[in-house]
Amino acid sequence: MESFKNALAASIRQSRAFYGAVALLVIIYLVYNILHPHGFSSAVLVQNANEMAAIAFLAMAQTVPVLLGGLDLSVGAVMTLTSCIASELVHGSPATILFGMVMTLLSGTAFGLLNGIIVVYGRLQPIIVTLATGAIAIGLALFIRPKPGGEIDADLNWAVTNSLRDLVETYHLFNPDAGWFAPVAWIPVPLLALLAVAVLVWIPFRKSVTGRTVYAIGSAEGAAYMSGLPINRAKIAAFALAGFFAACGGLYLAIQTSSGNADVMQAGAYTLNSIAAVVLGGTSLLGGIGGAIASLVGACILRVISFYFRIVSIDPLLQPLIEGLVLLAAVSLGALRTLRVKNNLDLFR
Amino acid sequence: MKLKALLFSTAAAVLFSAGMSQAGPKIVSGPGAEPKCFAPWAADTKYLQWEKKKGPYKVAIVNGFVGNTWRIQMIKTAKAYAEDPAMKGKIAEFKVVSTGTDAPAQLGAIEDFINQGYDAIVTIAVAPDGFDRVIRLADKNNVVLVPFDNVLDTDKVMQVNENQLEMGRKWGQFALDELHAKGVKGGKILEVRGLPGNSVDRDRSVGINEVFKKDGGKWEMVSVVGNWDDGTTQKVVADAIAVHGKFDAVVGQGGSNGVIQALKDAKHPWVPIAGESENGFRKAIAAHSADGLKGISIGQSPGLVAIAMKAAVSALEGNVMPQLISVPLPVATYKELKDGENYWSNLPDNFFTVNEFPPCGVNISGPAIMAQNESNTK
Repeated sequence: MESFKNALAASIRQSRAFYGAVALLVIIYLVYNILHPHGFSSAVLVQNANEMAAIAFLAMAQTVPVLLGGLDLSVGAVMTLTSCIASELVHGSPATILFGMVMTLLSGTAFGLLNGIIVVYGRLQPIIVTLATGAIAIGLALFIRPKPGGEIDADLNWAVTNSLRDLVETYHLFNPDAGWFAPVAWIPVPLLALLAVAVLVWIPFRKSVTGRTVYAIGSAEGAAYMSGLPINRAKIAAFALAGFFAACGGLYLAIQTSSGNADVMQAGAYTLNSIAAVVLGGTSLLGGIGGAIASLVGACILRVISFYFRIVSIDPLLQPLIEGLVLLAAVSLGALRTLRVKNNLDLFR
Repeated sequence: MKLKALLFSTAAAVLFSAGMSQAGPKIVSGPGAEPKCFAPWAADTKYLQWEKKKGPYKVAIVNGFVGNTWRIQMIKTAKAYAEDPAMKGKIAEFKVVSTGTDAPAQLGAIEDFINQGYDAIVTIAVAPDGFDRVIRLADKNNVVLVPFDNVLDTDKVMQVNENQLEMGRKWGQFALDELHAKGVKGGKILEVRGLPGNSVDRDRSVGINEVFKKDGGKWEMVSVVGNWDDGTTQKVVADAIAVHGKFDAVVGQGGSNGVIQALKDAKHPWVPIAGESENGFRKAIAAHSADGLKGISIGQSPGLVAIAMKAAVSALEGNVMPQLISVPLPVATYKELKDGENYWSNLPDNFFTVNEFPPCGVNISGPAIMAQNESNTK
């Protein structure tokens, strides 16, 4: 118990920004549920999780290049491209649905891999490379789906965008009203999908040598190189992983909307919001500090802020202004540490 | 504690949903309520009927993109109409949100309002597809969902729009009639088109060209693309005048202020002009109709939101409604223009004049919206 306490204290000391973000999320989400006429219900949680899923995946995607000290301006475009691909493939028999989902995720990963290869072997800045490849992704998306539409399996749409209970009921897995199932039946599927990807993909990656090299590159690329770390491999892997996360977002978006839409404006908005979510989660844009789970929290904060406009009466034309102010305030919380640095050199970290 | 509350309400929700049968509108036969206002789109349009609910109702508007004059005017109109004596007593709660061009956020907002127990949700869809889940939820909870302006590719919800093809035909017919009245049987017509690739632009253009083709006169159509934008339109019209010298009439879909400005700058004689419903265009028609500027002004009105709200409330009252409602086109020719009534010489040019739909009893005029504007800033 004592050692756990110490470990927790150390963890909090080391990642104040992350715990600050978690605390902020818990507070604003609790207040939201208290103000909501049907707060603390599964229906509200399911709706919230649905709305958060795509941007949360995208925030995780953005995190990996940011940890390198770069930015990926193509994540929104890759999400759009993969959602258009999914709208072509994810229907039919269970086998073809599964095949379509795997193909969607693979195509996103491949696109990310391409980004990484261009960055590493072209010796180019990630921000410029991804600006260009993002335009390519949008072009491909428009080519695949010039007009919004496509088809996604209706059962899949209903099962994945609801609570576990509906998933079990839709696919007749077992009796959805079984007693042992009740304690978890209310959990929204998108939330589980997010956590599964975070736990099964992100955490093993972070613990691997490649993952730790990503952090090392962000902290001091020269030192990482001198230490003999696999720099090129880590960079390529980072962009490929970003592509994978973006594809998860695209797949979810396609399932959620039962269609694909090569919406250029939406792609741009999602890219920018993914950067905001990364910063809100406490990941440093300079690289080396933070993580995908922190960005997941950041994405949730970003969304919950906009939830408030639906329960509190604010003039519709003032809403963007207020959202911007709240966002600025939330990001500023992360800068509080500068007030307590002992040595000005710390500011450059 | 949070978890406990969550479990409790979930159990309640599960029980609730188990006991609830599949609700939603019934397909019935027409005619519907107030057919002059809620006109069916076509002869084969289905009719829908929801279970009657007791008022007053909770109504929400979920807008997508915000940031151009039209959308801002639409939001102001919605707020003004909610305060209108015809509506005020029927609406218990009224909320407007704009989600930007973000499909999950728009779907989320709609679902949130369903969860909050709203009775009707009026929306301009960010995409013509992808609303299956919220339509299903709305039906399950007996919520009336009404897309308007940018409508959905589905016949499962009640939708409200203006007939763009008919609008094009009316524009063309007016110009043709004015030319015939002058004794002109052939000549050059300048057509100003809108945003390329858009179904609205396509339908309007088809309507315009159809009329001239049918006439049998020797008409040469010159098409330029103005993107429905005053600046772009002014430039392309000026270019067209420079190349072709003189047109017998101008038929434009939008950016009508630009058409007027370009003709003025080129000292082009006034000719019959068909255009949208910008205030500046109507001001010009009123000022110069005696000199030959015989104008017609029809618009996609931001006031459509009021019709959509009225339709939603009518559906909640248990009335039979057409699935696709064709809102009567708000037409004003130079003969009907009156300052302070259907245009305002003291208001800005880029203001969309048509907000009023007399057949629907919707009379939110320009000054009413301006008043709404002032009360917002308090």
